[in-house]
Amino acid sequence: MLGLPVGGGDGQKPVIQKRAKPAGGPRKIQGVAREVAALYGERPPPVAVYEEKKTYRAKRQSTGPVKPWIRLPFTNHARNDGLVLKHWKRKADLPNGEDVEMEDSENSAPFVYSDASYLKWNIGVDVPTFSDDEYDTYLRSDDWSREETDYLFDMVKDFSYRWAVIWDRYDFQPSQKSHMADETMHDDLNQALAALPFAPPKARSVEDLKARFYDISAKLMKLRIPEVQMDADQYATYEILSKFDPLLERNRKSLAAALMNRNMDEVKEEEFLLAELQRINMAANRLDAEREELRSRLEAPVPNQQVSAGLASFTSSQALTALFQQLFQADRSKKRASGGGAGGGRLSISVNDIMATPTSAGHSQLGTASRKQSMAQPAIQTPIRTLPPQQEYRFNVSTHDRLTSGVTFGSDRLLKMRQAKSNVQTQKIAAALAQLEIADIISIPTSRVGDVFEQLVSKVSKLLDVRKVREKEEGECRVLEAMKERRGSQIKGEGYTEGMATNGTPTNRQEIPDSQETPDVDGDGEDDDDGDGDGDGDADGDGDAEDDADADGDGDGDGDVDVDAEGEEDEDAEGEDESRAQSARQTSEAVSRRATPAGHKRSASVLSQLSNKSNKRMRK
Amino acid sequence: MNISNSTSAPNAGEYAGDEVSAIVLDPGYSTTRAGFAGEDVPKSVCPSFYGQIDSDAGPQYLFGENAIHNPLGNLQIKNPWGADGIVEDWETATKVWEFAITSRLTGSKPGNPAKNGLNDGNDTNGDAMDVDLDVDMDGIENLEKPLEDSPLLMTEPGWNSTKAREKYIEIAMEDWGTPAFYLQKTGVLAAFAAGKASGIIIDVGASHTSVTPVLDGMVLRKGVQKSPLAGNFVSNQIRMIYKQAQPEVPLTPHYLVKAKNQVDAGAPAQATYRTFDVPPTDSFRTYEEERVLTEFKESVVEVWPGPGRFSNGPNEEMAKATPGRPYEMPDGWNQVFGVERFRPAEGLFDAAAALQDAENPRPKDEHTISRLIQAAVQQVDADARPLLLQNIVVTGGSTLLYKFNERLNWEINTVYPSTRNKLIAPGTVVERKYAAWIGGSILASLGSFHQLWISRKEYEEHGANIVEKRCR
Repeated sequence: MLGLPVGGGDGQKPVIQKRAKPAGGPRKIQGVAREVAALYGERPPPVAVYEEKKTYRAKRQSTGPVKPWIRLPFTNHARNDGLVLKHWKRKADLPNGEDVEMEDSENSAPFVYSDASYLKWNIGVDVPTFSDDEYDTYLRSDDWSREETDYLFDMVKDFSYRWAVIWDRYDFQPSQKSHMADETMHDDLNQALAALPFAPPKARSVEDLKARFYDISAKLMKLRIPEVQMDADQYATYEILSKFDPLLERNRKSLAAALMNRNMDEVKEEEFLLAELQRINMAANRLDAEREELRSRLEAPVPNQQVSAGLASFTSSQALTALFQQLFQADRSKKRASGGGAGGGRLSISVNDIMATPTSAGHSQLGTASRKQSMAQPAIQTPIRTLPPQQEYRFNVSTHDRLTSGVTFGSDRLLKMRQAKSNVQTQKIAAALAQLEIADIISIPTSRVGDVFEQLVSKVSKLLDVRKVREKEEGECRVLEAMKERRGSQIKGEGYTEGMATNGTPTNRQEIPDSQETPDVDGDGEDDDDGDGDGDGDADGDGDAEDDADADGDGDGDGDVDVDAEGEEDEDAEGEDESRAQSARQTSEAVSRRATPAGHKRSASVLSQLSNKSNKRMRK
Repeated sequence: MNISNSTSAPNAGEYAGDEVSAIVLDPGYSTTRAGFAGEDVPKSVCPSFYGQIDSDAGPQYLFGENAIHNPLGNLQIKNPWGADGIVEDWETATKVWEFAITSRLTGSKPGNPAKNGLNDGNDTNGDAMDVDLDVDMDGIENLEKPLEDSPLLMTEPGWNSTKAREKYIEIAMEDWGTPAFYLQKTGVLAAFAAGKASGIIIDVGASHTSVTPVLDGMVLRKGVQKSPLAGNFVSNQIRMIYKQAQPEVPLTPHYLVKAKNQVDAGAPAQATYRTFDVPPTDSFRTYEEERVLTEFKESVVEVWPGPGRFSNGPNEEMAKATPGRPYEMPDGWNQVFGVERFRPAEGLFDAAAALQDAENPRPKDEHTISRLIQAAVQQVDADARPLLLQNIVVTGGSTLLYKFNERLNWEINTVYPSTRNKLIAPGTVVERKYAAWIGGSILASLGSFHQLWISRKEYEEHGANIVEKRCR
């Protein structure tokens, strides 16, 4: 009726009615005996535990008349000899609907159908093939005959590349034909030689077999597809095939065998060592974690330009993301340096944090209008207690613009102040402080004491500077006066300088052996200079350079520069002795006037050297 | 359980099973197993021994459990298997196997209806009968062969010779007329029964112990090892223990005892014995004694489980501390066997510990099980060794000796301490004893196996040598 199924409407209705019924009535607890359920009372337990499985099996449904089975002959698709086997089949499942006729046909001519259901498991392997021409041109080998090569390829095909089996079954017997052929021929020497490789069947190892097969495969592959045209997979295969190294493989296997044949003691030792290694690793990890924690406590936050620019730069979400990236990178590099030992607790930033950071989340949502509010947030989060200056003084609280990393001692700071750039200057400062009766070691080096001491030292050094300038000026004045005096008697002065020069050389000569005895002198020269202030070592060095014309250019140069500086300071320091200084100036000027054009440096060094010598002489 | 209805056919894709009512025949030295492929135990288990009574009319053969244990006069018990684990007497071997198949599986085929006696009284309406008989005469020749309907899968030991293999297919095709045949090695099938395609199969049978490395369902021939230290060796060891005991332990088989009285442990037996006018031969007595010894092996003999060998250090003292096991002979003589119960099987693992006398020389060291395994593994490619050692399948009736597996496990772990060695020994007796048959049952019932059968047509085309090409 109207294309609707007749029974459809009737069939659905009662189902709906049935479902509606139990919903209205009291809930029945499943799987619990009626008596037990009655004991629950009005409040049944919210969760009832019962076994779902413990039910009787449903009665077998009658599905109509018995479906008969038939012992049916069939042939297999994978066979080509037409073997007919019989198996049991349901009559209804037969391929064609001829089952009605079966009983009759079984007697007369057996109905045979072909079963292809197992064809999918009939799989062979692909083995490269080659023609005779190809073999002759490319694949010949002194070690392998054509016959044996063919045998190998057959084996590979038969055993589907199972090399262990191939090697196990490999039993190549050169066919009798070739032998017979050889025997029928004359016992020619050439013939015998030609037959030689065929004569004894060689014992081949797996590697030999593989090497031969892979070699041929690679060559054939190259012939079929030129290397340029291979795609990535093909080329990878080609690489593997062509790079097979039987020796390497053999060594690997012998190692593997050796590993397997270890005795009990060795195995136990290895186990012990592995356990030990694990223990050490764990201890190291723990140590790393502890160290990491300590470091994170001690280390100051990473200086960052944006911070110095103020919080104003972090108002946009982009800037915040950048900041996060920076911190994340720093954190990661730190982690990498410590070996990735993840200690307990959470010491690192992860990428997920950017999502969870309240400020960034706020910024991404807040508009420019509410920027001020968000600016205020960090201030609220870190309240700073301010102390009145009196208390600050009392509790010794100090504020710093910038903290340097690490821990320093106050006494170290004081000691550092005593030291100037040069040793001489340091000594001078020390002398000045001694004059002021300040102890070498200050017992309680608080930061305030340090500040005061710093002021003092800076004053001392200023004074020293002033004195230096004054002495320089005085010296110049004196030189000018002396020049004025000497204008009249110039010739006499020249003779004097000549004599000085001749005197100077012998002294140099005498001291040469010293420098050779202690070859370090060149290197240590600076220290010597600093300590004694007489510059002997460098003077020697100079002498060397001059006399032997050795090309110790760099060393000499350095030495010269130092001596230069020292020389000046020496002059300054002991410039009080006027007469000595005067003579020095005279000589230096004389020398500089006569100096060969070796350059300014050289002349300066000579000058300082001479001045040193003169100093020495004067002291003596 | 997904099978909602046990009468519906399982899906072909489920396990690729497709039974063609093939028969699996697994002949061994002690018993011959036969049954239909697809079943879980062999239906027919017959002794491989047969009885022979020589008379003027020629030898009379007796097969089957019931016949050969019957003490008849001049009855000899023989076995067609040779000392090297290959069939020696093909003629009777064929008969024994045929008996195993026909007695329980196929039944005897109807003979010529004209001669079988059933049609004797039907002469009256003979005309119609004669026509029918004439029509059927062509088929009679074939009908007499026992395996006309069923393909046959046979098992062979791993060291079987080419000649023997060709003989197998000749018997199956010519004598039994099977439509298709296949030959598979016991090692491979035992591995299949354990659900493994690769592994080392240790088969300790009656006459031989064999170790067979199998890779992807193929025997690695170079690695196959065998030794005569197996169940019969243990029996001989027990005999020697009986002889060396003070006083000597009497070994009386069941058939000699008519009635027995209870006696104290160690006291001489008080039994009445049977007398025979024409007694059975010595070979019969030996065979019957062997039954008693088998029982003794099952109930008393124990393998020293390790660690260390039984003769090492304090092990023997420790063994003495364990309680003994009582055993009563068929004639009532009984005793508690203490430490000596460890001795018979020790020779399987430790050649030096084996008892020796003039007839039983000291076994060779390389015949002990651990040395066999070592030799087998040595012959395998280095890469495959760890895989094989992970799947060591233990099978054969003699592995049911108490604590055998513990000892074997210890021996293997001593030889190969650095690999992960795993023994796979089915717990049930049937699976352990008939593993090769069960594997054959699985293999022959697979749909994908259909294409591997050697058909009659192929046999006729290529000759018996085809078995070498196809069954490798």
